[in-house]
Amino acid sequence: MFFHIVLERNMQLHPRHFGRDLRDKLVAKLMKDVEGTCSGRHGFVVAITGVEHVGKGLIRDGTGFVTFPVKYQCVVFRPFKGEILEAVVTMVNKMGFFAEAGPVQIFVSNHLIPDDMEFQSGDMPNYTTSDGSVKIQKDSEVRLKIIGTRVDATEIFCIGTIKDDFLGVISDPGATS
Amino acid sequence: MDDLGPGEEEDEDYIDEEEEEEEEEADAVRSGKAGGRKRQRSEFIDDSAAEDSEEEEDDDDEDDEDYGGGGGGRRGGGGGGHRKKKKTASQFFDEEAQVDSDEDEDEEQGEDDFIVDGGADLPDEEDARRMHRRPLLPREEDQEDVEELERTIQQRYARSSHTEYDEETTDVEQQALLPSVRDPKLWMVKCAIGHEREVAVCLMQKCIDKGSELNIRSVIALDHLKNYIYIEADKEAHVREACKGMRNIYASSKILIVPIKEMTDVLSVESKAIDLSRDTWIRMKTGNYKGDLAKVVDVDNVRQRVTVKLIPRIDLQALANKLEGREVPKKKTFNPPPRFMNVDEAREMHIRVERRRDQMTGDYFENINGMMFKDGFLYKNVSMKSISAQNIQPSFDELEKFRQPNENGDGDVASLSTLFANRKKGHFMKGDRVIIVKGDLKNLKGTVEKVEEDTVHIKPKARGLPSTLAVNEKELCKYFEPGNHVKVVSGATEGATGMVLTVEGHLVNIVSDTTKEVLRVFSDNVVESSEVTSGITRIGDYELHDLVLLDNYSFGVIIRVESEAFQVLKGVPDRPEVALVRLREIKCKIEKKIFAQDRVKNAIAVKDVVKILEGSCKGKQGPVEHIYRGILFIYDRHHLEHAGFICAKSQACVLVGARANGDRNGDLVSRFSQLRSPARVPQSPGKPRGLQMSSGRNRGGRGGHDALIGTPIKIRKGPFKGYKGRVVDVKGQTVRVEMDVSMRILTGKFYRLSRPFYVHGYPISASITSFALCAVDREHLSDNVNVSTPYRDSSRYGSGSETPMHPSRTPLHPYMTPMRDPGATPIHDGMRTPMRDRAWNPYTPMSPARDPWEDANPASWGSSPQYQPGSPPSRTYDAPTPGGNYSEAGTPRDSSPAYVNAPSPYLPSTPGGQPPMTPSSAYLPGTPGGQPMTPGSGGLDIMSPVVGGDSEGPWFLPDILVNVRRSVEETAIGVVREVLPDGSCRVALGSSGNGETVTSLPNEIEIVVPRKSDKIKIMGGAHRGATGKLIGVDGIDGIVKVDDTLDVKILDMAILAKLAQP
Repeated sequence: MFFHIVLERNMQLHPRHFGRDLRDKLVAKLMKDVEGTCSGRHGFVVAITGVEHVGKGLIRDGTGFVTFPVKYQCVVFRPFKGEILEAVVTMVNKMGFFAEAGPVQIFVSNHLIPDDMEFQSGDMPNYTTSDGSVKIQKDSEVRLKIIGTRVDATEIFCIGTIKDDFLGVISDPGATS
Repeated sequence: MDDLGPGEEEDEDYIDEEEEEEEEEADAVRSGKAGGRKRQRSEFIDDSAAEDSEEEEDDDDEDDEDYGGGGGGRRGGGGGGHRKKKKTASQFFDEEAQVDSDEDEDEEQGEDDFIVDGGADLPDEEDARRMHRRPLLPREEDQEDVEELERTIQQRYARSSHTEYDEETTDVEQQALLPSVRDPKLWMVKCAIGHEREVAVCLMQKCIDKGSELNIRSVIALDHLKNYIYIEADKEAHVREACKGMRNIYASSKILIVPIKEMTDVLSVESKAIDLSRDTWIRMKTGNYKGDLAKVVDVDNVRQRVTVKLIPRIDLQALANKLEGREVPKKKTFNPPPRFMNVDEAREMHIRVERRRDQMTGDYFENINGMMFKDGFLYKNVSMKSISAQNIQPSFDELEKFRQPNENGDGDVASLSTLFANRKKGHFMKGDRVIIVKGDLKNLKGTVEKVEEDTVHIKPKARGLPSTLAVNEKELCKYFEPGNHVKVVSGATEGATGMVLTVEGHLVNIVSDTTKEVLRVFSDNVVESSEVTSGITRIGDYELHDLVLLDNYSFGVIIRVESEAFQVLKGVPDRPEVALVRLREIKCKIEKKIFAQDRVKNAIAVKDVVKILEGSCKGKQGPVEHIYRGILFIYDRHHLEHAGFICAKSQACVLVGARANGDRNGDLVSRFSQLRSPARVPQSPGKPRGLQMSSGRNRGGRGGHDALIGTPIKIRKGPFKGYKGRVVDVKGQTVRVEMDVSMRILTGKFYRLSRPFYVHGYPISASITSFALCAVDREHLSDNVNVSTPYRDSSRYGSGSETPMHPSRTPLHPYMTPMRDPGATPIHDGMRTPMRDRAWNPYTPMSPARDPWEDANPASWGSSPQYQPGSPPSRTYDAPTPGGNYSEAGTPRDSSPAYVNAPSPYLPSTPGGQPPMTPSSAYLPGTPGGQPMTPGSGGLDIMSPVVGGDSEGPWFLPDILVNVRRSVEETAIGVVREVLPDGSCRVALGSSGNGETVTSLPNEIEIVVPRKSDKIKIMGGAHRGATGKLIGVDGIDGIVKVDDTLDVKILDMAILAKLAQP
C-alpha cells in the first residue's frame, strides 16, 4: 500500500555546498540518500514529493559539516498482510515462484499455487494448469495476496498466495506474444 | 554388593544369608541412590517383590538369564513375574549405601564379622543354597544371632529402621550415606578383559574358602567397565593380598584408589527413564541398521528384547546368491540403502518366500531366509541393548517413509502420539495457539491459558464452549497460521527461521528466511519468533559460507550448517555436488586469497562480479566469494539452490564490469585496490592516517598479500642470490618464494627480493616497487633506469606507464603479460593514450582520464572548485578518488581493508636510503597529506562522494626537503617553498633551497626520508604540519619528538619528511 507521509531526517552537508543553491543541494542529496531505501516501519521510500521544512544547520566540530534537520513529504510503499498486489514473476522453480511488485520481492510457494497447476521444468520453467490454459512463467503478471511479510533493515520480503478467488495470472507474456 | 542404605533391622535379619550373595552379585550393581534405601532381598522376599525398584527388576531380568538354573524355580512367583528373591547384604551394605544387589542366588548366610567388622566367615556355598530356599519365616531365627549386630546398626543409623523401608529418604539422609574417609575405600584393579565377572566370582569363592583371612569387603564388576574390577577394602595391602594368585588379575599393575567423591558414581547407574512401549520410535545402535529409525512393535521385558519394524536394507541379489549357495563375495563395504521389501521381486529372483502366521499376533508374515517381512517392513527381534530409545527425533522424511506403504492416516496419529512422548516439559506456554488433534474436539483451536502437568487449559476460539477447556497435553498440537514468522527449535533444521506457508495438520511448511527453501517441520518443533536466522551458522571453527578443505583434499563451501554436520558444496565445477560432512572430516579452512583468471585472462579476485559463460549455470552472475585451485565459488542471490552458491571454473567465467561508467570505475578501483593495495595505500585518501599506521604493522593482512602473491621476484642476497621465483605467500615481513628452477619454496624477507622485470601493464608492479625497489640494488633495476621519470608519473597506476617507453618489453616477456595485464589494463590505460589502442584492453573507456579529473568523478564533488586547489594534480587524484567513492558501490567490504592493510609493503623501503628513482617513496608522504582533511569521513557515509574529494589535500608541505626529478636520470634535491593549489609545488633547488626555483608536479617529487636526529616535518595525521626531531627509527615507525609539545610520538616513517635546513 502506498502512503504519502512526512518524514524527517538529519542531513549532513559539506561546507563546499554552502552558497546560493544550498537548498537545492540539500534536496538533491536528500533524494539521493533517501529514495529507494527501505525502513521497517514505513517501507520503501518511493519518491520525495516535497520538502516541508529545513531546520537550522548545526556545524559539526572538526569537520565543518553541517547538519540540517529536514522534513520532507514522500510516498512510501509498504506491503501488508492480506493486501492484494499485482506483481511480475521474476523466477519460477519447483518450490514456487518469485515475483516483484516494485521493490518488494514476493515468494509464492507451490503450496500456495492452486493444486491444478503443475510445475513444468525446462527451458522456461512454469506452472501450468492441466488444460494448459493458464501458465505462470517468468514475466507473467500475477495478482496475489500477501500472507506474510518479513521486514529487514534493507528489504521487505513477502510470501503470497494465488490460491484464492480472483487471484492468479492477469497477463501472460506467452499468450500475447 | 547389594544395597546399602541406612541400616535396617531387616538387614540384620538376613545378614547371615546375604553376605555371600553380595559377592556373587558383584556384577549386578545397582545404585540405590534414588531410593536411598538399601533393599534387601532374601529368598523370602519373593513376596515382597513389589518393593523392588524398577531398576532392580531390570537386573533381575538379567540375573534370571544368568542364573536361570538356580533361580528358575522362583521365577514368575512375584508380581514382577521373574523376580527372584533377593537377599540383602548385611550392614556391610548399609555402609555402602548406594548399591543394590540383585543377585538372588546366594546363600543367606552372611557373617556379621565379614560384613561389618571386615572379617566374616562365609558360609559355604551349599549352605547358601539351602538357605536360599528357606521360607521367609526362618529369618526370625537368624535374628537372634545378629542381635548384637542389630544394635550396632541401629545405633549407627538411628534414623532408619525397617519400617521406613519403603519411604522416600530425604536428601539429608542420603548425604549421610555417602562414603567418608572412615569408610573402606574402593580400589580399581586391572584384570583380564572379558573376565571381570569371573574375577569377581573367583574372589568371592576365595572369600568363602579363606574366610576371615581375606580382608576385602566386596568386589564389583561393572558391565560397562572392561578390564577393571573394583575391590572394596580398607587398605591396598588387603587388596593385593586378595588378588594374589588370581589368574586373571594383573596384580603387578597399579592398584588405583577411587576418590571418595567418585565412589558413588561407581555404584550408580543411570536411571532408565524411558520404558519402551509399542509404537515408540527408536534408533538402532548397531549393525547394518545403525542409526536407522525403527518402530517398536513388541516388547519382551522378560527377555529384554524388542521387536522392531524397520525399513529393510537388504541386497536381494546378494541374498539370492547366498541362498543358492553361490559364493558371495565378502565385501562389506557398502550398506544397501533402505528400501521396502518387494516380495514379488524376491520371488522373481528365486528367493523362497514363505508366508507364515505368527502365533502370537495372528498376523501373517513373509519369511525370507529367516527374516520376517510385513508390508515391506522388516520385523526384527533385537536386544534392548542394541537400540536407543532416548531423544529420538525422527525427521519428517523418515516418518514419511514409514508411512508410505500403508497410506492411511491411522499410522500417522500413532506416530504423532509417540512424537509427543518426546516432548519436553513445558512444551506449551501460556498464550500459545494450539489445536486439538485427537478426540471429539479435534480441530478445535484455542490459546493456552494454563498448563499443569499433563493437562493444558485452553481457551477455545469457537463460541458456545466453556471459557476454558482442560485438555490432555497429548491431544494438543501447536498451531500456526500462514504468514506467521517462526523459528524451528528442534529437529534437523533447528535454529532456522522462516514464514509459515501452509499448515497441514501438525505439519507446517515454512519458507526459510535465508535459503528461501521450503522446510517441512512439525508444528511442535517451531515457535513463533521475530528473529531472522538461518539456524546455527557455525560448528567449531567453521562457519557458514567458509571455504574448507576436506579430508580427501577436495574442498568446498559450507552452504548449510546442520546440527552435527555441514553441507558442503564441493568444488566440482561441472555439476553441483553437495556432500554432508562432519566436523572431523574437515581439514581446515582455506583463507588464502588467490587470484584466478577468467576466460579473457582478467584477474579475478574475491568479490569481483563474474558472469558464468558455460555449464548448467550459464548466464548466472554474482560476486566471487571464494577462489581455490582455479575454481570460483560465486554467490548469486537469485540462485536458490545451495544457498546461492555456484561453483564454476574460473575459465568459464568472465569478469563483469559494472554497468554505469562510475560504477565501472568503482569496480575497477576496488579491484585494483585489492590487487595493489600496498601501492595505493600511501596515496589513498580517505582513510584516517591512524588506520594506516596501525595497519602498517599487520602487513600480513589480506590486502597486503594479494598484491605480492604470484609476483615474480629475484633474490638479492644469501645463498639463493640471483634466483628467480614467484611469491607464493606473504606473511608479515617474510615471503615464501617458489623458485623457478627447483620448485623449492623458500622463505625470505621482503628486502631480499627484487623484481626482475618491470612489465608494463601489471598493476602490482607499483606496489612491488614500493617495497622492492627501495631495497634493491640499482643494477637490478637497470632496465628501468632510463624510464624513471615516466615511471614515476605512473607509479600509482602501475608500471604500465612505462610501456610507451619500452614497447619492446612486452614481447620480451610475453609470459608475464597475461598474468599481469588483467589488473593492469584498466589502470594504466587511462593515463597512457598509446595504451588504449591495445586490443586486450577492454576497459579503456572507464579508466579515469588524465586531465579532467572531474570526468572520472561524480559531478557532485568533482566540479566544486574549492577543492581543486587542495587536490594534487589530476593524475594522482584520479586513482584514489574513485577508490574512496566507490568502495561503497563496488566492493564495500573489501576495499577498505585493502587500504588498511596496504601500507605495509612500502614500509621497509623507508629506512633504506632509496635510490632516487624509487617512485613509490615519492608518493608515500603524499598520502598522509590528504588525511587531515577527512576527519570523520569514515562515519559520514552519506557524504561519501565528497570524501574522496576532500580528503585529497595538498600532499607536500612547505619547507620539506625533496628530491626533484628533473629529467630521466637526473634528480636534484630541493626545498618545497610553496604548494600550489593544483598540487604541484614550487621547489627551490639545493639542499638549503637557495638554488633556482622550479615548479614540479607532485609525481616528480619525492620526499627525502629523514634519518635519525634529522629535523622532520609531519606530513599526515593529527600532527600534520608540525615539526619535530626524529630521535629514532624502529622498523617502519619513526620516533619523533614534536617541537611544539615536546611529546614523543611514534609515527609512520612514511609521513615524515626531512625538514630543510634554513
